[in-house]
Amino acid sequence: MKNNKKAIAVAIPVLIILLPLGYSIVHSIFSQSAQNTEAFIEKPDAKYKNCVRETEYMRVNHMKLLKEIRDQVVREGNRGEIGLNNCRECHTSRERFCDQCHNAVNLNLDCFGCHYYP
Amino acid sequence: MAQRYHIEPDLDFIKKIGTFGGEDLKKCYQCATCSVVCELAPQQRPFPRKEMIWAQWGLKKKLFANPDVWLCNQCDDCSTHCPRGARPGDVMAAIRRESVIHFAFPRLLGRWVSRPKYIPLLMSIPAVLLGLALLVKAPIENAFGISKHFSENIVFSTTRMFPHWLLNSFFSFFTVLAFIATIVGVMRFWRAMKTAGAQDGITTPARGLVQSILSVLKSIITHNNLTMCTTESSRFLYHLFAFHGFMALFVVTLWVITAAYNPLIPNGFIYPFNFWNPWKMLANLGGIALISGCVLMIRDRLRKREQGGSSTFFDWAFIWTLLAVAITGLITELLHYARLEPHRYIAYFIHLAFVFALLMYLPYSKFAHLAYRTIAMVYAEYYDRTGEAS
Repeated sequence: MKNNKKAIAVAIPVLIILLPLGYSIVHSIFSQSAQNTEAFIEKPDAKYKNCVRETEYMRVNHMKLLKEIRDQVVREGNRGEIGLNNCRECHTSRERFCDQCHNAVNLNLDCFGCHYYP
Repeated sequence: MAQRYHIEPDLDFIKKIGTFGGEDLKKCYQCATCSVVCELAPQQRPFPRKEMIWAQWGLKKKLFANPDVWLCNQCDDCSTHCPRGARPGDVMAAIRRESVIHFAFPRLLGRWVSRPKYIPLLMSIPAVLLGLALLVKAPIENAFGISKHFSENIVFSTTRMFPHWLLNSFFSFFTVLAFIATIVGVMRFWRAMKTAGAQDGITTPARGLVQSILSVLKSIITHNNLTMCTTESSRFLYHLFAFHGFMALFVVTLWVITAAYNPLIPNGFIYPFNFWNPWKMLANLGGIALISGCVLMIRDRLRKREQGGSSTFFDWAFIWTLLAVAITGLITELLHYARLEPHRYIAYFIHLAFVFALLMYLPYSKFAHLAYRTIAMVYAEYYDRTGEAS
Protein backbone atom coordinates (compact mmCIF):
# COMPACT_ATOMS: atom_id res chain seq x y z
CA MET A 1 0.00 0.00 0.00
CA LYS A 2 2.78 2.36 0.96
CA ASN A 3 4.63 1.61 -2.24
CA ASN A 4 1.44 2.13 -4.20
CA LYS A 5 1.13 5.61 -2.73
CA LYS A 6 4.71 6.39 -3.66
CA ALA A 7 4.14 5.24 -7.23
CA ILE A 8 1.17 7.61 -7.43
CA ALA A 9 3.26 10.40 -5.90
CA VAL A 10 5.77 9.91 -8.70
CA ALA A 11 3.23 9.47 -11.49
CA ILE A 12 1.38 12.73 -10.74
CA PRO A 13 4.31 15.16 -11.33
CA VAL A 14 5.46 13.22 -14.40
CA LEU A 15 1.96 13.44 -15.86
CA ILE A 16 1.62 17.12 -14.98
CA ILE A 17 4.94 17.89 -16.66
CA LEU A 18 3.84 16.08 -19.81
CA LEU A 19 0.39 17.73 -19.96
CA PRO A 20 1.37 21.04 -21.63
CA LEU A 21 3.24 19.15 -24.33
CA GLY A 22 0.11 17.12 -25.03
CA TYR A 23 -1.91 20.31 -25.10
CA SER A 24 0.52 21.92 -27.55
CA ILE A 25 0.48 18.91 -29.86
CA VAL A 26 -3.33 18.77 -29.89
CA HIS A 27 -3.54 22.53 -30.25
CA SER A 28 -1.13 22.60 -33.19
CA ILE A 29 -3.14 19.92 -35.01
CA PHE A 30 -6.39 21.83 -34.58
CA SER A 31 -5.00 25.31 -35.15
CA GLN A 32 -3.60 24.35 -38.55
CA SER A 33 -7.10 23.92 -39.89
CA ALA A 34 -8.33 26.96 -38.00
CA GLN A 35 -7.58 30.51 -39.03
CA ASN A 36 -4.13 31.95 -38.78
CA THR A 37 -3.80 33.88 -35.56
CA GLU A 38 -0.56 35.59 -36.48
CA ALA A 39 -1.98 38.84 -37.74
CA PHE A 40 -4.36 39.40 -34.90
CA ILE A 41 -4.18 43.16 -35.16
CA GLU A 42 -6.63 44.90 -37.38
CA LYS A 43 -4.80 47.06 -39.88
CA PRO A 44 -5.96 50.67 -39.83
CA ASP A 45 -7.63 52.23 -42.81
CA ALA A 46 -5.04 52.84 -45.53
CA LYS A 47 -6.07 56.46 -46.07
CA TYR A 48 -4.63 57.40 -42.68
CA LYS A 49 -0.88 57.30 -42.96
CA ASN A 50 0.20 58.49 -39.56
CA CYS A 51 -0.77 57.79 -36.00
CA VAL A 52 -0.42 60.53 -33.39
CA ARG A 53 3.05 59.16 -32.69
CA GLU A 54 5.57 57.08 -34.61
CA THR A 55 4.28 53.55 -35.17
CA GLU A 56 7.37 52.15 -33.45
CA TYR A 57 6.69 54.29 -30.40
CA MET A 58 3.08 53.17 -30.32
CA ARG A 59 4.00 49.52 -30.51
CA VAL A 60 5.98 49.69 -27.31
CA ASN A 61 4.62 52.70 -25.44
CA HIS A 62 0.94 53.08 -26.37
CA MET A 63 -0.02 52.46 -22.75
CA LYS A 64 2.12 55.37 -21.61
CA LEU A 65 0.47 57.67 -24.13
CA LEU A 66 -2.96 56.51 -22.98
CA LYS A 67 -2.03 57.37 -19.41
CA GLU A 68 -0.84 60.81 -20.55
CA ILE A 69 -4.15 61.37 -22.32
CA ARG A 70 -6.06 60.23 -19.23
CA ASP A 71 -4.10 62.71 -17.06
CA GLN A 72 -4.72 65.51 -19.54
CA VAL A 73 -8.43 64.89 -19.83
CA VAL A 74 -9.46 63.67 -16.39
CA ARG A 75 -7.01 65.44 -14.12
CA GLU A 76 -6.17 68.63 -16.08
CA GLY A 77 -9.61 68.93 -17.61
CA ASN A 78 -8.32 69.58 -21.14
CA ARG A 79 -11.25 68.15 -23.01
CA GLY A 80 -11.79 68.73 -26.67
CA GLU A 81 -8.74 68.25 -28.83
CA ILE A 82 -7.26 65.43 -26.76
CA GLY A 83 -9.07 62.18 -26.23
CA LEU A 84 -9.83 58.73 -27.54
CA ASN A 85 -12.14 60.10 -30.25
CA ASN A 86 -9.18 60.51 -32.57
CA CYS A 87 -8.04 56.93 -32.03
CA ARG A 88 -11.35 55.68 -33.29
CA GLU A 89 -10.81 57.34 -36.66
CA CYS A 90 -8.41 54.53 -37.61
CA HIS A 91 -8.88 51.84 -35.00
CA THR A 92 -12.59 51.50 -35.43
CA SER A 93 -13.20 48.50 -33.25
CA ARG A 94 -11.81 48.00 -29.77
CA GLU A 95 -12.69 44.28 -29.94
CA ARG A 96 -10.78 43.72 -33.15
CA PHE A 97 -7.88 46.05 -32.48
CA CYS A 98 -7.05 46.27 -28.78
CA ASP A 99 -8.72 43.21 -27.32
CA GLN A 100 -7.36 40.53 -29.65
CA CYS A 101 -3.81 41.31 -28.74
CA HIS A 102 -4.54 41.84 -25.06
CA ASN A 103 -6.52 38.65 -24.78
CA ALA A 104 -3.69 36.69 -26.35
CA VAL A 105 -1.32 37.71 -23.56
CA ASN A 106 -4.01 37.71 -20.89
CA LEU A 107 -3.70 41.40 -20.26
CA ASN A 108 -7.11 42.38 -18.99
CA LEU A 109 -7.90 46.05 -19.13
CA ASP A 110 -10.62 47.11 -16.76
CA CYS A 111 -10.95 50.65 -18.20
CA PHE A 112 -13.54 49.76 -20.76
CA GLY A 113 -15.66 47.81 -18.37
CA CYS A 114 -17.23 51.15 -17.37
CA HIS A 115 -15.94 53.64 -19.90
CA TYR A 116 -17.12 53.78 -23.43
CA TYR A 117 -14.66 53.44 -26.28
CA PRO A 118 -15.96 56.17 -28.54
CA MET B 1 46.18 -12.63 0.09
CA ALA B 2 49.33 -12.33 2.13
CA GLN B 3 50.20 -9.14 0.37
CA ARG B 4 51.78 -6.26 2.14
CA TYR B 5 49.77 -3.12 1.94
CA HIS B 6 51.50 0.09 2.81
CA ILE B 7 49.01 2.65 4.05
CA GLU B 8 49.80 6.24 3.31
CA PRO B 9 47.24 8.26 5.20
CA ASP B 10 46.41 11.72 3.93
CA LEU B 11 46.15 13.56 7.25
CA ASP B 12 44.88 16.69 5.63
CA PHE B 13 42.01 14.75 4.05
CA ILE B 14 41.05 13.16 7.40
CA LYS B 15 41.02 16.60 8.97
CA LYS B 16 38.80 17.94 6.16
CA ILE B 17 36.29 15.10 6.55
CA GLY B 18 36.21 15.92 10.26
CA THR B 19 35.64 19.62 9.64
CA PHE B 20 32.93 19.30 6.99
CA GLY B 21 30.40 16.96 8.58
CA GLY B 22 32.29 13.85 9.64
CA GLU B 23 33.49 15.00 13.04
CA ASP B 24 32.48 11.65 14.63
CA LEU B 25 34.36 9.59 12.05
CA LYS B 26 36.98 8.34 14.52
CA LYS B 27 34.33 6.85 16.80
CA CYS B 28 33.70 4.06 14.28
CA TYR B 29 34.91 0.65 15.46
CA GLN B 30 33.97 -1.24 12.30
CA CYS B 31 31.06 -3.27 13.62
CA ALA B 32 29.35 -3.04 10.20
CA THR B 33 25.91 -2.34 11.62
CA CYS B 34 25.70 0.47 9.08
CA SER B 35 26.23 -1.80 6.11
CA VAL B 36 23.66 -4.25 7.45
CA VAL B 37 20.90 -1.72 8.00
CA CYS B 38 21.51 0.15 4.74
CA GLU B 39 18.74 -0.66 2.28
CA LEU B 40 20.79 0.53 -0.67
CA ALA B 41 24.05 -1.29 0.02
CA PRO B 42 24.65 -4.24 -2.33
CA GLN B 43 25.38 -7.73 -1.03
CA GLN B 44 28.95 -7.74 -2.27
CA ARG B 45 31.35 -5.28 -0.63
CA PRO B 46 28.55 -3.21 0.95
CA PHE B 47 28.87 0.37 2.11
CA PRO B 48 29.38 2.41 4.27
CA ARG B 49 31.56 0.30 6.60
CA LYS B 50 34.49 0.11 4.19
CA GLU B 51 34.22 3.82 3.42
CA MET B 52 34.42 4.52 7.16
CA ILE B 53 37.79 2.81 7.53
CA TRP B 54 39.10 4.25 4.27
CA ALA B 55 38.17 7.68 5.57
CA GLN B 56 39.73 6.98 8.98
CA TRP B 57 42.94 5.98 7.23
CA GLY B 58 42.78 8.91 4.86
CA LEU B 59 42.72 6.77 1.70
CA LYS B 60 41.20 9.50 -0.38
CA LYS B 61 42.15 8.00 -3.75
CA LYS B 62 40.13 4.89 -2.97
CA LEU B 63 37.18 6.98 -1.84
CA PHE B 64 37.17 9.28 -4.87
CA ALA B 65 37.26 6.31 -7.26
CA ASN B 66 34.41 4.59 -5.48
CA PRO B 67 30.89 4.65 -6.93
CA ASP B 68 29.42 3.55 -3.57
CA VAL B 69 29.99 7.00 -2.06
CA TRP B 70 27.42 8.28 -4.54
CA LEU B 71 25.08 5.29 -4.38
CA CYS B 72 24.39 6.42 -0.81
CA ASN B 73 21.37 8.70 -0.61
CA GLN B 74 21.98 9.71 2.98
CA CYS B 75 18.85 8.13 4.41
CA ASP B 76 20.74 8.17 7.73
CA ASP B 77 19.50 4.71 8.63
CA CYS B 78 23.17 3.95 9.31
CA SER B 79 23.60 6.99 11.54
CA THR B 80 20.53 6.16 13.66
CA HIS B 81 21.59 2.56 14.15
CA CYS B 82 25.28 3.23 14.73
CA PRO B 83 26.07 2.07 18.27
CA ARG B 84 29.02 4.46 18.49
CA GLY B 85 27.34 7.54 17.05
CA ALA B 86 29.94 7.79 14.30
CA ARG B 87 27.30 9.09 11.86
CA PRO B 88 28.39 7.27 8.68
CA GLY B 89 25.72 9.16 6.72
CA ASP B 90 27.41 12.49 7.46
CA VAL B 91 30.85 11.03 6.71
CA MET B 92 29.62 9.87 3.31
CA ALA B 93 28.26 13.38 2.64
CA ALA B 94 31.62 14.88 3.61
CA ILE B 95 33.40 12.46 1.24
CA ARG B 96 31.04 13.47 -1.57
CA ARG B 97 31.85 17.11 -0.93
CA GLU B 98 35.58 16.36 -1.19
CA SER B 99 34.92 14.34 -4.37
CA VAL B 100 33.19 17.27 -6.06
CA ILE B 101 36.10 19.55 -5.19
CA HIS B 102 38.63 16.88 -6.25
CA PHE B 103 37.13 16.24 -9.70
CA ALA B 104 36.21 19.87 -10.35
CA PHE B 105 37.43 21.51 -13.54
CA PRO B 106 38.93 24.08 -13.22
CA ARG B 107 40.02 23.10 -9.70
CA LEU B 108 40.25 26.71 -8.56
CA LEU B 109 36.48 27.17 -8.95
CA GLY B 110 35.94 23.96 -7.01
CA ARG B 111 37.79 25.47 -4.07
CA TRP B 112 36.05 28.84 -4.34
CA VAL B 113 32.49 27.57 -4.50
CA SER B 114 32.94 25.41 -1.39
CA ARG B 115 33.97 28.34 0.80
CA PRO B 116 31.68 30.98 2.32
CA LYS B 117 34.27 33.76 2.08
CA TYR B 118 34.04 33.70 -1.72
CA ILE B 119 30.27 34.35 -1.78
CA PRO B 120 30.65 38.10 -2.52
CA LEU B 121 33.04 37.38 -5.40
CA LEU B 122 30.96 34.50 -6.78
CA MET B 123 27.74 36.52 -6.69
CA SER B 124 29.30 39.64 -8.17
CA ILE B 125 30.54 37.68 -11.21
CA PRO B 126 26.99 37.07 -12.58
CA ALA B 127 25.92 40.60 -11.65
CA VAL B 128 28.86 42.17 -13.50
CA LEU B 129 28.56 39.89 -16.54
CA LEU B 130 24.81 40.49 -16.83
CA GLY B 131 25.36 44.21 -16.41
CA LEU B 132 27.95 44.16 -19.20
CA ALA B 133 25.59 42.17 -21.42
CA LEU B 134 22.88 44.80 -20.90
CA LEU B 135 25.38 47.56 -21.68
CA VAL B 136 26.35 46.08 -25.04
CA LYS B 137 22.72 45.26 -25.85
CA ALA B 138 21.88 48.47 -27.69
CA PRO B 139 25.09 48.62 -29.85
CA ILE B 140 24.66 44.98 -30.90
CA GLU B 141 20.98 45.50 -31.71
CA ASN B 142 21.84 48.47 -33.88
CA ALA B 143 24.71 46.69 -35.62
CA PHE B 144 22.68 43.60 -36.48
CA GLY B 145 19.36 45.31 -37.03
CA ILE B 146 17.69 43.44 -34.19
CA SER B 147 15.95 46.54 -32.88
CA LYS B 148 14.35 46.95 -36.31
CA HIS B 149 12.93 43.46 -36.01
CA PHE B 150 11.50 44.44 -32.64
CA SER B 151 9.76 47.48 -34.00
CA GLU B 152 7.74 45.33 -36.36
CA ASN B 153 5.89 43.76 -33.47
CA ILE B 154 4.03 44.98 -30.50
CA VAL B 155 6.30 43.96 -27.67
CA PHE B 156 6.08 43.81 -23.96
CA SER B 157 8.44 46.31 -22.35
CA THR B 158 10.33 43.56 -20.48
CA THR B 159 11.07 41.89 -23.77
CA ARG B 160 12.86 45.06 -24.79
CA MET B 161 14.69 45.37 -21.48
CA PHE B 162 15.88 41.75 -21.47
CA PRO B 163 15.38 40.62 -25.08
CA HIS B 164 15.27 36.93 -25.81
CA TRP B 165 18.21 37.00 -28.18
CA LEU B 166 20.37 38.45 -25.39
CA LEU B 167 19.26 36.05 -22.65
CA ASN B 168 19.39 33.05 -24.97
CA SER B 169 22.90 33.75 -26.26
CA PHE B 170 24.21 34.85 -22.84
CA PHE B 171 22.90 31.85 -20.96
CA SER B 172 23.60 29.38 -23.77
CA PHE B 173 27.24 30.45 -23.83
CA PHE B 174 27.76 30.05 -20.10
CA THR B 175 25.64 26.90 -19.87
CA VAL B 176 27.84 25.30 -22.51
CA LEU B 177 30.90 26.27 -20.42
CA ALA B 178 29.33 24.76 -17.28
CA PHE B 179 28.34 21.69 -19.27
CA ILE B 180 31.92 21.20 -20.50
CA ALA B 181 33.23 21.62 -16.95
CA THR B 182 30.72 19.04 -15.71
CA ILE B 183 31.64 16.59 -18.46
CA VAL B 184 35.36 16.95 -17.66
CA GLY B 185 34.68 16.28 -13.96
CA VAL B 186 32.46 13.32 -14.74
CA MET B 187 35.03 11.86 -17.18
CA ARG B 188 37.69 12.13 -14.47
CA PHE B 189 35.36 10.31 -12.09
CA TRP B 190 34.50 7.61 -14.65
CA ARG B 191 38.19 7.00 -15.43
CA ALA B 192 39.03 6.79 -11.73
CA MET B 193 36.19 4.29 -11.17
CA LYS B 194 37.30 2.20 -14.15
CA THR B 195 40.92 2.11 -13.03
CA ALA B 196 39.97 1.17 -9.49
CA GLY B 197 37.46 -1.39 -10.76
CA ALA B 198 40.08 -3.00 -12.99
CA GLN B 199 42.34 -3.46 -9.96
CA ASP B 200 39.50 -5.35 -8.28
CA GLY B 201 38.99 -7.48 -11.35
CA ILE B 202 35.88 -5.69 -12.63
CA THR B 203 36.53 -5.37 -16.33
CA THR B 204 33.58 -6.77 -18.28
CA PRO B 205 30.31 -4.87 -18.41
CA ALA B 206 27.24 -6.82 -17.36
CA ARG B 207 24.85 -5.06 -19.72
CA GLY B 208 24.77 -2.46 -22.46
CA LEU B 209 25.62 1.16 -21.69
CA VAL B 210 22.38 2.49 -23.16
CA GLN B 211 20.36 -0.04 -21.21
CA SER B 212 22.21 0.99 -18.02
CA ILE B 213 21.57 4.68 -18.64
CA LEU B 214 17.87 4.11 -19.33
CA SER B 215 17.41 2.05 -16.19
CA VAL B 216 19.21 4.72 -14.13
CA LEU B 217 17.07 7.51 -15.60
CA LYS B 218 13.97 5.51 -14.72
CA SER B 219 15.07 5.07 -11.15
CA ILE B 220 15.89 8.80 -10.89
CA ILE B 221 12.46 9.85 -12.16
CA THR B 222 10.68 7.42 -9.84
CA HIS B 223 12.98 8.25 -6.91
CA ASN B 224 13.34 4.52 -6.48
CA ASN B 225 16.30 4.68 -4.09
CA LEU B 226 14.86 7.36 -1.84
CA THR B 227 11.72 5.30 -1.25
CA MET B 228 13.86 2.73 0.56
CA CYS B 229 14.83 5.12 3.38
CA THR B 230 13.28 4.43 6.76
CA THR B 231 14.84 7.03 9.07
CA GLU B 232 14.47 9.87 6.61
CA SER B 233 11.40 8.60 4.78
CA SER B 234 10.16 12.18 4.37
CA ARG B 235 13.19 13.03 2.23
CA PHE B 236 11.53 11.12 -0.59
CA LEU B 237 8.74 13.68 -0.74
CA TYR B 238 10.99 16.75 -0.30
CA HIS B 239 13.32 15.62 -3.03
CA LEU B 240 10.41 14.64 -5.24
CA PHE B 241 8.95 18.15 -4.90
CA ALA B 242 12.24 19.93 -5.55
CA PHE B 243 13.26 17.58 -8.37
CA HIS B 244 10.03 17.60 -10.33
CA GLY B 245 9.49 21.31 -9.62
CA PHE B 246 12.89 21.95 -11.15
CA MET B 247 12.17 19.58 -14.04
CA ALA B 248 8.91 21.41 -14.77
CA LEU B 249 10.73 24.76 -14.87
CA PHE B 250 13.49 23.25 -16.98
CA VAL B 251 11.02 21.85 -19.51
CA VAL B 252 9.16 25.17 -19.79
CA THR B 253 12.47 27.01 -20.23
CA LEU B 254 13.42 24.62 -23.03
CA TRP B 255 10.02 25.19 -24.63
CA VAL B 256 10.44 28.96 -24.53
CA ILE B 257 14.02 29.17 -25.79
CA THR B 258 13.37 26.77 -28.66
CA ALA B 259 10.00 28.32 -29.55
CA ALA B 260 11.32 30.03 -32.68
CA TYR B 261 12.26 26.64 -34.18
CA ASN B 262 9.32 24.68 -32.85
CA PRO B 263 7.09 23.14 -35.54
CA LEU B 264 4.30 22.81 -32.97
CA ILE B 265 4.02 26.61 -32.82
CA PRO B 266 3.27 27.44 -36.46
CA ASN B 267 1.45 30.71 -35.91
CA GLY B 268 4.09 32.58 -33.98
CA PHE B 269 5.05 32.41 -30.36
CA ILE B 270 3.17 34.69 -27.99
CA TYR B 271 5.27 35.83 -25.07
CA PRO B 272 4.69 36.43 -22.19
CA PHE B 273 2.37 33.49 -21.76
CA ASN B 274 -1.25 33.86 -20.94
CA PHE B 275 -1.66 33.10 -17.23
CA TRP B 276 -3.96 30.19 -18.06
CA ASN B 277 -1.71 28.85 -20.79
CA PRO B 278 -0.83 25.23 -19.82
CA TRP B 279 2.88 26.02 -20.03
CA LYS B 280 2.51 28.99 -17.71
CA MET B 281 0.46 26.92 -15.30
CA LEU B 282 3.14 24.23 -15.37
CA ALA B 283 5.84 26.84 -14.66
CA ASN B 284 3.87 28.29 -11.74
CA LEU B 285 3.18 24.85 -10.33
CA GLY B 286 6.84 23.93 -10.75
CA GLY B 287 7.93 27.10 -8.95
CA ILE B 288 5.59 26.39 -6.05
CA ALA B 289 6.75 22.75 -5.89
CA LEU B 290 10.39 23.85 -5.92
CA ILE B 291 9.81 26.37 -3.12
CA SER B 292 7.88 23.82 -1.03
CA GLY B 293 10.59 21.21 -1.54
CA CYS B 294 13.38 23.62 -0.56
CA VAL B 295 11.52 25.00 2.46
CA LEU B 296 10.75 21.48 3.71
CA MET B 297 14.41 20.50 3.23
CA ILE B 298 15.59 23.56 5.14
CA ARG B 299 13.15 22.88 7.98
CA ASP B 300 14.26 19.27 8.05
CA ARG B 301 17.95 20.19 8.18
CA LEU B 302 17.40 22.76 10.94
CA ARG B 303 15.53 20.18 12.98
CA LYS B 304 18.26 17.62 12.36
CA ARG B 305 20.92 20.08 13.49
CA GLU B 306 19.29 20.18 16.91
CA GLN B 307 19.61 16.41 17.04
CA GLY B 308 23.31 16.54 16.20
CA GLY B 309 23.11 15.84 12.48
CA SER B 310 25.27 18.14 10.44
CA SER B 311 24.60 20.33 7.45
CA THR B 312 27.58 22.11 6.03
CA PHE B 313 27.96 25.25 3.97
CA PHE B 314 28.07 22.94 0.97
CA ASP B 315 24.49 21.79 1.68
CA TRP B 316 23.14 25.19 2.65
CA ALA B 317 24.63 27.06 -0.30
CA PHE B 318 22.88 24.77 -2.77
CA ILE B 319 19.48 24.73 -1.09
CA TRP B 320 19.44 28.49 -0.54
CA THR B 321 20.54 29.23 -4.10
CA LEU B 322 17.79 26.98 -5.41
CA LEU B 323 15.24 28.61 -3.13
CA ALA B 324 16.50 32.08 -4.10
CA VAL B 325 16.05 31.25 -7.79
CA ALA B 326 12.47 30.07 -7.22
CA ILE B 327 11.46 32.93 -4.91
CA THR B 328 13.03 35.74 -6.98
CA GLY B 329 11.33 34.23 -10.02
CA LEU B 330 7.96 34.29 -8.37
CA ILE B 331 8.53 37.82 -7.03
CA THR B 332 9.44 38.98 -10.54
CA GLU B 333 6.21 37.48 -11.84
CA LEU B 334 4.14 39.19 -9.15
CA LEU B 335 5.83 42.56 -9.73
CA HIS B 336 5.13 42.01 -13.41
CA TYR B 337 1.42 41.64 -12.78
CA ALA B 338 1.57 44.70 -10.54
CA ARG B 339 3.30 46.58 -13.43
CA LEU B 340 5.73 48.06 -10.96
CA GLU B 341 8.60 49.79 -12.67
CA PRO B 342 11.52 49.66 -12.27
CA HIS B 343 10.97 47.08 -9.51
CA ARG B 344 10.16 44.26 -11.88
CA TYR B 345 13.32 44.81 -13.89
CA ILE B 346 15.47 44.90 -10.75
CA ALA B 347 13.80 41.73 -9.45
CA TYR B 348 14.31 40.05 -12.82
CA PHE B 349 17.98 41.07 -12.83
CA ILE B 350 18.48 39.57 -9.36
CA HIS B 351 16.60 36.45 -10.46
CA LEU B 352 18.83 36.07 -13.51
CA ALA B 353 21.96 36.52 -11.38
CA PHE B 354 20.81 33.67 -9.13
CA VAL B 355 19.98 31.50 -12.13
CA PHE B 356 23.47 32.17 -13.44
CA ALA B 357 24.99 31.24 -10.07
CA LEU B 358 22.93 28.05 -9.92
CA LEU B 359 23.85 26.89 -13.42
CA MET B 360 27.42 28.15 -13.65
CA TYR B 361 28.51 26.80 -10.28
CA LEU B 362 26.70 23.50 -10.86
CA PRO B 363 29.92 21.49 -11.38
CA TYR B 364 31.42 22.84 -8.13
CA SER B 365 28.42 22.98 -5.81
CA LYS B 366 26.22 20.31 -4.31
CA PHE B 367 24.18 20.59 -7.50
CA ALA B 368 26.95 18.44 -9.01
CA HIS B 369 25.34 15.42 -7.36
CA LEU B 370 23.04 15.54 -10.36
CA ALA B 371 25.99 14.49 -12.55
CA TYR B 372 28.17 12.47 -10.17
CA ARG B 373 25.40 10.41 -8.62
CA THR B 374 23.90 9.67 -12.02
CA ILE B 375 27.24 8.56 -13.43
CA ALA B 376 27.99 6.43 -10.33
CA MET B 377 24.59 4.79 -10.73
CA VAL B 378 25.28 4.16 -14.42
CA TYR B 379 28.65 2.63 -13.52
CA ALA B 380 27.03 0.43 -10.87
CA GLU B 381 24.41 -0.70 -13.36
CA TYR B 382 26.88 -1.16 -16.23
CA TYR B 383 29.29 -3.30 -14.22
CA ASP B 384 26.48 -4.88 -12.20
CA ARG B 385 27.55 -3.53 -8.81
CA THR B 386 24.45 -4.97 -7.13
CA GLY B 387 25.12 -8.47 -8.44
CA GLU B 388 21.67 -8.85 -9.98
CA ALA B 389 22.83 -10.14 -13.34
CA SER B 390 25.02 -12.97 -12.04
